[in-house]
Amino acid sequence: MNAIEVNRLSKSFGRVRALSDVSFTVGRGELFGVIGPDGSGKTTLYRLLCSLLKADSGMVCVDGFDANSQMREIRRRVGYMPGRFSLYPDLTVRENLEFFATLFGTTVDEGYDSIKAIYSQIERFSQRKAGALSGGMKQKLALSCALVHQPSVLFLDEPTTGVDPVSRKEFWEMLDALRQRHITIVASTPYLDEVRHCERVAFLSEGRVMGIGTPEVILEQHAAVFNPPPLPGFHAVAACPDDTSCREEQDTGSEDTVIEVNHLVKAFGAFRAVDDISFSVKRGEIFGFLGANGAGKTTAMHILTGLNQPTSGTGRVAGFDICTEHEHIKRHIGYMSQNFSLYQNLTVAENIRLFAGIYGMNDREIARKTDTLLTQLQFMEHKHDLVGKLPLGWKQKLAFSVAIFHEPAIVFLDEPTGGVDPATRRQFWELIKDAARRGITVFVTTHYMDEAEYCDRISIMVDGKIGAIGTPDELKRQFRQPDMDHVFTCLARQAKRSSN
Amino acid sequence: MLKYLIEKEWLQIRRNAFLPQLIVMFPITMMCVMPWIMNLEVKNIRVDVVDNDRSTRSIRLIGSVFASNCFVQGGQPSTWEEAFGHIETKRADVVMVIPPHFSRDLANGLHPQVLVAANAVNGTKGSIGGVYLSQIISAHVEPSASAIRQKVSSLFLYNKNLDYKVYMIPALLAEVLMLLCGFLPAFNIVGEKEAGTIEQMNVTPVPKWAFILSKLIPYWMIALFVLGVCLLLSWLVYDITCQGSLWLVLLLSVLFSLFCSSLGLVISNYSHTMYQAVFVMWFFVVCMLLLSGLYTPTRSMPDWAYLTTYVNPMCYFIDAIRTVFVRGGDFHSVAHQMLALLCAASVMGVWAVGSYRKNR
Repeated sequence: MNAIEVNRLSKSFGRVRALSDVSFTVGRGELFGVIGPDGSGKTTLYRLLCSLLKADSGMVCVDGFDANSQMREIRRRVGYMPGRFSLYPDLTVRENLEFFATLFGTTVDEGYDSIKAIYSQIERFSQRKAGALSGGMKQKLALSCALVHQPSVLFLDEPTTGVDPVSRKEFWEMLDALRQRHITIVASTPYLDEVRHCERVAFLSEGRVMGIGTPEVILEQHAAVFNPPPLPGFHAVAACPDDTSCREEQDTGSEDTVIEVNHLVKAFGAFRAVDDISFSVKRGEIFGFLGANGAGKTTAMHILTGLNQPTSGTGRVAGFDICTEHEHIKRHIGYMSQNFSLYQNLTVAENIRLFAGIYGMNDREIARKTDTLLTQLQFMEHKHDLVGKLPLGWKQKLAFSVAIFHEPAIVFLDEPTGGVDPATRRQFWELIKDAARRGITVFVTTHYMDEAEYCDRISIMVDGKIGAIGTPDELKRQFRQPDMDHVFTCLARQAKRSSN
Repeated sequence: MLKYLIEKEWLQIRRNAFLPQLIVMFPITMMCVMPWIMNLEVKNIRVDVVDNDRSTRSIRLIGSVFASNCFVQGGQPSTWEEAFGHIETKRADVVMVIPPHFSRDLANGLHPQVLVAANAVNGTKGSIGGVYLSQIISAHVEPSASAIRQKVSSLFLYNKNLDYKVYMIPALLAEVLMLLCGFLPAFNIVGEKEAGTIEQMNVTPVPKWAFILSKLIPYWMIALFVLGVCLLLSWLVYDITCQGSLWLVLLLSVLFSLFCSSLGLVISNYSHTMYQAVFVMWFFVVCMLLLSGLYTPTRSMPDWAYLTTYVNPMCYFIDAIRTVFVRGGDFHSVAHQMLALLCAASVMGVWAVGSYRKNR
């Protein structure tokens, strides 16, 4: 018998058709992937499968029970891990787990065997508040919570978005272990390596199933979305001798160092989030700032952007001191934060106008530049749309364009491409490349290792220190690894802190 | 720069599904509903009379009761049981039972007992009505007592019709300002914290004061608009107008809203979640309201509680605005309240700007 049967399922919200005529089956104990761009109906599908929503038409059958009439049975048998915010940040690890156990009328001890493999990794921190955990640990706890009532079917909605590569690998190893216990798993993910991990995948686009099959077949069929050709000219930068020599010439001038940091420390009590880091970034460079969750990237970035004061150490950004002249720094930088940072209830044009106005442009200049920018982005027809209604990939492109609208010397990007498909990410990197060509220094953090390859130079943070720094090719040679993914894994596995 | 920030706030308020409706509903509920509810007046008490005597004397007594504008005649049930039934069905507030042979006993120098039973479910109406009624009765039976009473006369200097609404409307203005200028900007800032957009603002070169002012100015304008509508409504609906200068009312309101919004901002700067901000704000607002003399006179508080009114800006405001609104006081008569409000507003304002950190 199949664990999940979905037959001609449709669901609309008002005039928006979220899902239309979706059919597929998932066998017992299968690891099934649901992939597709943002807004393709993945979350709606999950909510229908968990019987949280009622379908307009069609049939959903989970573990032999009909989602329409037997939702009690289904809810007893499924575990659901929504994309974000599934934990209570003010409760401790143990309290979260106990709460979810109580919800299903069981106890932690009763379900302990089913979660032992996962929970034992975080059990040492059972008294810590869930909000204080690193990204990878939060995912482990959320998974434990979804498993505590021993479900037979597990639904995971983008469980690894915003999680570093090492924690992601560990997470998928756990899913493999669960499969051996014949738990059916339906997972969605924007990462290609994770897609390849599934037995079969369904590709959703605009609410329709575009194909179901093994990952290889689907990725091949829809290569335009999942496997876009690498950006031309990116690797050429390092390879082309003219370009490098030209760059080196520029580098000799000391005024071309736009970020310079010496022995920077940020301590929260006894905890040293950033522990004595030193580096410099040259004008026009794309500098990748990598590190596992909780390694101190965001804290370091907050110090550079003048949001935080360092505990000790010195640094200059765009020629200004980070300790005393942080308000001057802010005039010369752009910033795109991890949480999406434009105002959702303002239109595209209004957002641009607001931020341009803050940096002192006048009305005429703003109007002229807005039109130029929107034409470039081919966004003109959405000029008066509310930002909240745009797809995630567009929002990110827009946020980046707004961050460099005032032609800053440096732009800081904190995980700018979380949760979008490869084709959209590629378009985003074209924008970054353009900006770098115009002489804007790009300082970017990311968890996608293919993006790391696009950077001119990379630093990898481990436990608040810089574990390695150099061009991608240098790092690969230094650590004798084939690609950045392996370099990162090799370094991040040395960490003591990110695992606690 | 400020222009663009304020423009953004306006757009956000306008796009909000709820706020524009609130801004319209607020003055209407405050002015058209609340004055009827916050009412401690004792008027129109319905009295049922069970007259078991039916003599000239008893009819004269009844006549003198209804001569007072306090009482209106209810039914004339024939038995006590029937009258009591009227009280239970809320058709009567007070029952007066005149015993048989009332007139004869009175003439014989015996002391006949008139029964007065008041329904004290509405405490004020019951107790005051009962006392008042027995005064009338004793004055009627013993003219000497009546003679004494006639020597004491009361003269009302302000609010001559003893209309409770005149007293309450200025206090309601205080509540309007407190809620609009205190809560809304505070929640707005915490909302930006939760959405993460405040981080984006903090990495821009926006000066602290500009960011804070951009949050405050729209709500001040809304509050002053609502204040205007309230005054207009009180004139149209109740024919109650301000006795003193409207400029003084405006000046007092501006000072008070400055204080309220600064308080809200201080709280929002220390709160991380909406939930936290709501509760802390509620705590301060409820304490300030109940200790301000809005509902109960401050002089009736125990001494230790009365001391808190010296540091409660709401108390100064209500005192001052009642002075201007009801008594028609001039600047001189509210100068010290004005000074106190100015001090409170500046202390809070400095604290609000100081506690907002763009860099920590």
